[in-house]
Order: sequence, then C-alpha cells, then structure tokens
Amino acid sequence: MRRFSLAFAGIVLVAAIAAPSALAQFAPVTPESPNAEGIRQSYLFVSIFVAGIFVLVEGLLIAFIWKYRRRRRPRFEDGAPIHGATKLELAWTAFPVVVLFLVAAFVFIELPGIKDIPEATAGEEQLEVRVSGRQFYWQYEYPNGVIAVDTMRAPAGVPVRLEVTAPDSDVIHSWWIPPLGGKIDAIPGTVNQTWFEADTPGTYHGQCAELCGLEHANMLASVEVLSQPEFAAWLEERRAEQTAGSGELGAETWEGVCAKCHGLAGEGGIGPRIAGSLVLADPEALESLVRNGRRTMPAVGAGWTSEQVEALANYLKESPPSGS
Amino acid sequence: MAVSRAESVPAWQRGKVASWLVTTDHKRIGILYISTALVFFVLAGLMALVFRLQLSQANADVLSADRYNELITIHGTAMVFLVVVPLLAGFANYLVPLMIGAHDVAFPRLNALSYWLFFLGGAILMGSFFADGGAADTGWTAYPPLSTQATGNGQDLWILSLHVLTASSLAGAINFIVTIHNMRARGMTWMRMPLFVWSILLFAWLLMAILPTLSAGLTLLLLDRGVSIGPWDVQTNFFNPAEGGSPVLYQHAFWFFGHPEVYVIVLPAFGIISEVLPVFSRKPVFGYKAIAASTVAIGFFSMLVWAHHLFTVGLPISLQVFFMLASMIIAVPTGMKIFNWLATLWRGNLHFETPMLYALGFLSIFVIGGLTGIYLAAFPIDWQLHDSYFVVAHFHYTIFGGAMFAIFAGLFYWWPKMFGRLLDERLGKWQFWTLFVGFNLAFMPQHFAGLEGMPRRVYTYSNESWEGYNLASTIGSYVMGVAILLFVVNIWRARSGPRVGNDPWQADTLEWYTTSPPPPHNFDDVPYVTSARPLYDLRRKLRIERGGREPA
Ligand SMILES: [Cu+2]
Ligand SMILES: [Cu+2]
Repeated sequence: MRRFSLAFAGIVLVAAIAAPSALAQFAPVTPESPNAEGIRQSYLFVSIFVAGIFVLVEGLLIAFIWKYRRRRRPRFEDGAPIHGATKLELAWTAFPVVVLFLVAAFVFIELPGIKDIPEATAGEEQLEVRVSGRQFYWQYEYPNGVIAVDTMRAPAGVPVRLEVTAPDSDVIHSWWIPPLGGKIDAIPGTVNQTWFEADTPGTYHGQCAELCGLEHANMLASVEVLSQPEFAAWLEERRAEQTAGSGELGAETWEGVCAKCHGLAGEGGIGPRIAGSLVLADPEALESLVRNGRRTMPAVGAGWTSEQVEALANYLKESPPSGS
Repeated sequence: MAVSRAESVPAWQRGKVASWLVTTDHKRIGILYISTALVFFVLAGLMALVFRLQLSQANADVLSADRYNELITIHGTAMVFLVVVPLLAGFANYLVPLMIGAHDVAFPRLNALSYWLFFLGGAILMGSFFADGGAADTGWTAYPPLSTQATGNGQDLWILSLHVLTASSLAGAINFIVTIHNMRARGMTWMRMPLFVWSILLFAWLLMAILPTLSAGLTLLLLDRGVSIGPWDVQTNFFNPAEGGSPVLYQHAFWFFGHPEVYVIVLPAFGIISEVLPVFSRKPVFGYKAIAASTVAIGFFSMLVWAHHLFTVGLPISLQVFFMLASMIIAVPTGMKIFNWLATLWRGNLHFETPMLYALGFLSIFVIGGLTGIYLAAFPIDWQLHDSYFVVAHFHYTIFGGAMFAIFAGLFYWWPKMFGRLLDERLGKWQFWTLFVGFNLAFMPQHFAGLEGMPRRVYTYSNESWEGYNLASTIGSYVMGVAILLFVVNIWRARSGPRVGNDPWQADTLEWYTTSPPPPHNFDDVPYVTSARPLYDLRRKLRIERGGREPA
C-alpha cells in the first residue's frame, strides 16, 4: 500500500515539475505575422496561470496524499472533522473569478491586434486575395484575375486581406497557416475574412483544418512570401502567361487538383488511374468533366475561368501523365 | 414479497438467459447496461488501436483514407453514445434506487425498453460497417454539406442509430427524474441525498433539455440527404447553401446538444468521485452543499456555451465574447468542486485501495483537461488551436482521464455490492498504474502536435517533426490496451473472488445497508434518514448502544 502511494506521489511530482517548463516551450509555432504574435502572447499569458494552478492543485494533492496516508491508524478510524471553513470556500470561489477576469482582460487588450487588419501605410496598398477551399485544393484569386493553386505568393511587409469561402456545391474547409495566424473556416455560401502581414520572405506551411472528405489530410496549403519587387514581377509574369494559356498554372492545377486523387503520374490513388485516358487529350471532354464532375468525382472545376481550363489542357498536351 | 413475485413469473421466463432478457429489475438492467457498454468500450478501443498504428509514423500505409475516416467516426460516436453515457446510465440504474432507499425505479418496464433501445442503437451503429459504402466517415460531428453529400448508407444508419439512442436516453432520463423526485426514503430531504444522486438528477434534466435539439438537427440532416416516404421523395435544403440553407445551422443544433453532453458525461463522474473520496478518507465530503449547488450551476451554464465550438465559423466578435465569458464562468463551479475534493482529503485517514487510486488519478488528470479548456475558451487562442490535436488531447483528458477514470473508480468501488465479491486488488493496482502511465503517454504529446500545427482527423501526415509525438501517442494507446486487458482478466477471476459482507468499505450511503448483492426487492426495511450519511449515523448509534464511547 505504502509503495503505491509513494510511487503515485513521485509521478505526480515529476509531472508538476515538467509541465510548466513544457508549457513555456510548447506554445503555438513561431509567429511570422502580428495576429499570430498576438495569439501567442495570449497563450503565454494564460500559461502563467495554468502553470500556477497546475502546480497548486497537483502539489496539494501530493502533499495530502503523503501527509494524511493511513500509516498505523486503524483501518476505519475517522479523519479529523473540519468545521466552519466559510472563508476558505469563499477564497477558492473568488480565486478563479480573479484569474478568469485577468485572462479575459488580456484577451481584450490583444484582440484588436489580432483581428483588425492594419491600415495601409503611406505608399502601400493592402493586397486582397480570394481564397476558395475546394475538395481537395486551395484556389487563390488575385485582384488582376491571376489564379494560383495551393501555393499562395504574397509580398513581404504588406497587409494581405483574405476573403475565405467555398463554392456552393463544395463542403466546409478551414484555412490555417499556423505562423500566419489562426484559422478561419471556408464555408459554402459565406465569405469570411482574415489577414496576415509577413515581414520575412520565406515559405510558410499549413493545411486544411476541417474534415472535408477522403483527401482532407493532403489538402496542404503554403504561402510563399516574396520581397515586394519579386512579388510584383511574379504577378505580372503570371498575368501574361495566363492570357497566353501557358506557364505554371496548368502544372499547379494538375498537381493541386487532379493529382490529389489520381496520383502525380496519373497512376491512380483514391481515384482511378487516368494516365492515357482519352479525356486528358480532348480539351472539350476535359472541360465538361472538371466542370460537372462524374459519379463520385466532384465538380472540381466548377466556376473555373476558361483560362484555367485552357492552362490545364495545354499542360496535359505538353506533358501527359506517364502513369508510373 | 420476493416469493410471490417469483411465483407469478411464467416458467419460460425463469431460465438463466430468459430471466435476463425479460428482466425489469433496475439492478439487472444496470448490469446489462454496464456489461454491454464495456463490450462496446473494447470494440471502440480496438478501433483506436488500429488507427493509432496508421498515425504512428509519417506517410504510413496501414489504412486507406476511407477506412481511417470510418474508424475515427465510429470510435468517437461509440465512445460517447455507446460507452461513457451508457456506463453512467448503468451506474445510475443500479445505484439510484438503492441510494435513495427505493425498491425499483418508477417505471421498470420503460427502463427495460430504454436498455433494449440502447442495445438496438449500438447494434445499428456497429453493424453499419457492413452497409453499402461502409460506415459513416464524416466524423462524430457529421457536419453538412460533407455528411449530406456522403454516399452509401453508412451516414443514414448513423443518423438512425443516434435517433434510437436518443429515444433510449430520453426514456432513461424521465425514469430517473420521476424516481428521484418521488421515491426517496423517509427523511431523505434534498440536502440529504447522496451527491451521486444529485449528479444523476442533473444528468437526466440536461438530457431532457438537449436531446430534442439533437433529434431535430439529425432529422433535418436526414431530410437533406433525401428520404422516400411511400410515393413521395423528400429532399430538403436546410443545410444546403446553394438553395439558401445554412450549413452552420447544423453546427449550432449539434453543439447545443454536444457541449452539455460533455457535462452529461462529467457530472455523474463528479458524482462518483464525491462518493468514493470521503469513504477512503474516512471523512464526510467537504462542502456538501457547495458541491450540490455547483452541480446545478454547471448544468445550467453548460447550456450557454455551445458556440465555443464555432469560434472559427466567422461569428460576430460580440457573440464570441459572450461565449468566451460564459465558458469561463463554468470554470468557477468546477474549480469549487476540485477544491472541495482536496479539502475532503485534508486531515483524512487516507488509504489507497483501487477505487481511491482511480479517484485520485481522476483528480490529477481532470485538472489538466480543465486547464487546457481555458485556452480553448479564449476565442483568439482557439482560432489557433481549434480542430487541432490540442483539442483531441483536451477532450480525451476530460472524457477519458475524467469520466473513464471515475467510472473505473466506481466499478472497483461498487463491484462488491453488485456481485458480492471483490475484484482483485493487486491486479486492480497494476491496471491503474498501467492506465495512468499509458493515458498520459498517449494524450500529453497530442497537445504539442496540435500546437505545432497538426490538424485532427488526418489519416496521414508528411511533417516528420510530428512523428515523435505520434509514436509516443501510439505506444501509450497500446499500454492503455494492456491495462484494459488486465481489467478483463480481473473480471474473469472475480467470479471466484473473496466474498464480502454488506458493507466492505464501511461506507455512508444506503446501498450498503442491504445485502451484497441485494435481493430483488432491494430492502426489507429502510432506516429513517437523518443526514446525508445514513449508514454513518447507524454505525454510530450501534456503537453507543453497545456502550462504546462516541468518537470525538
Ligand atoms: Cu479538409
Ligand atoms: Cu464545448
């Protein structure tokens, strides 16, 4: 009996020491945008109280287990009765109220920095990107009509406003790039807003956070933050390519949209093998298939511009999937 | 009385199996509930062991996406609807009449119906694996449009199963409410009622309040999926945005039920802890009134917090603020309970038999689940943590670490009352430590995986920095499996365990006044109840009558 209470005390003690240090170390990922920073600050602030209460409660538990264990007392001897502890009861009712008040107050202080998109500074504009969650890819639309799939390019140091939605025929997804802030659901029939402003160029990864079907796990997203001149050049080049029906959009669409279910080489996955399929070589059949879907295949291309369909068809003409 | 009842039973109902099939005895129904739920527990646990294997490393190839989604959906649904709630309903069935000194529940036949509906609902859910297209694979929350678009019959059977289980729970809830309100022993005022009975009263009232909303949501879901009634094909668009419906409406309906459901689960667990801790501390529970009042408060506030599950759907900030504050308010009565339990240990004469180990294990683990809830209630933090593995860890800390640990405390504590024999203490302790270590190994790392960006419900991942957490988690889940195996062995061996008398733990409440196991009619006589600890009073009276000194 004694051995067990000792072991119990030991384990809880180790947990009590390990947990607070773990909490400080394990916070949301390193933020790259002010809203993610605000969330991380709030998380750390809450952690102070969480660690304190954790140590208090587990500490008392261990102390009582140790101090009031039976030892040589008779098996059924009564413990000491406790009378009149009203003050104590009031204290432990008031204590959580105070803690929660502080937590809520801190959240209110941080909130504007998390939810409000910063005013555009002189000489710069906000960039607005429409993000559409679809089974099982992310489609981005820039103000000049440029389309991108799964990888978003964004300029450093510019507030980027995201309008997050999903087509009426699709299901709910959730936009989440942890270093760039919290998540927001992409809901058919609704347009939600979020934003980020990354100062450091680099690629930031995330993925869909709402179960959206078989390939939910592979519905990855990334944001490639470029310097402002690089971004401007990319956007212009992409615009020109798209008009010409050439360039990267076709490959992006193949990889992001078709390959998730049919494999990168068209070898088949949760969807059938499509390498060598005549549909891929026939732009009209391809267009009707992606726009309308067929049996279990969703209408992945519903609402696509003709530019995007053309880019895909051209890509498939130039580099038809090998099948292995 | 017992004799006349036995004579009135037709011969075909007296057989060993038949007598269980037709029983209306609350004790037998309680045992049926508990044993059926334990079978489902093993099944749903095995599902977890399979999908944990798939997650043990990056890009694993154990399960297809399809199978994986089916397993997590049925695992979650079963653990809530077929395991934890029915286990607690089983305890309630067995114990409430005994604890309040009644001969049975108010409506014994309704009670039997409620068990058999539970059995049917469970069979439908488990059987749905064999349906055309497999079982439902849209998560235990079944959000539309995903669930309305799901092909095959799995989703329909899932809805049917939940409808049947809802009917079962409603029947049970009505029974408990009428029983507790009307059938308490002489002298048992509200403030002398065992705390477990208080928790079951709130459990039942909450179920009455929230289940209709779930039923409504499920019915709309079914209609949206399309049904044929005779010659008419009905297909509605409540959740279909293309026709002006709102998918988020379903989420409100689901969570108006779903969040209080957490307290439907946790309140009776609290009740069990409030019975076990005092007996193994040899003290009255500290702050009886405060615990009873906080039970009522938690029940009430639990109905005002549902939208904290919807912080990422784009609700207006003012609503998010409301639901954050409401969620935080619940922490106050919950904190009161924890401090009351700690104060129950204070200056006690503690001994550490298995029920007590589980109760203490519950305390140490549940605190963690409560504390991580603060992060999730603060909505901007939730924007980061929602639908990540952090949430998975959080609710396993409350539902497994909380409710299941309390249920094991209850099983070891009341087993001698139910069967007249003790479960083996040595095996019990081994099981406790294995489960305690396995549980923390399985679920603590999931917090960190979530913080690093791992979303829930993914059948695979390619980020190798999540691998360590997931491997630890998988190992932990198998350690938990070993613990459950030890429990099965323990049950098996307990058939020939040591016999015990009426009251092996020298407890305080009325169920220990009668024999172990109790006769069909429970009590030959019920003492007049003079406090919340009727048996303690009786023992004291006896001691004084025998000329012993009254203890100080
Ligand atoms: Cu998804
Ligand atoms: Cu909740």
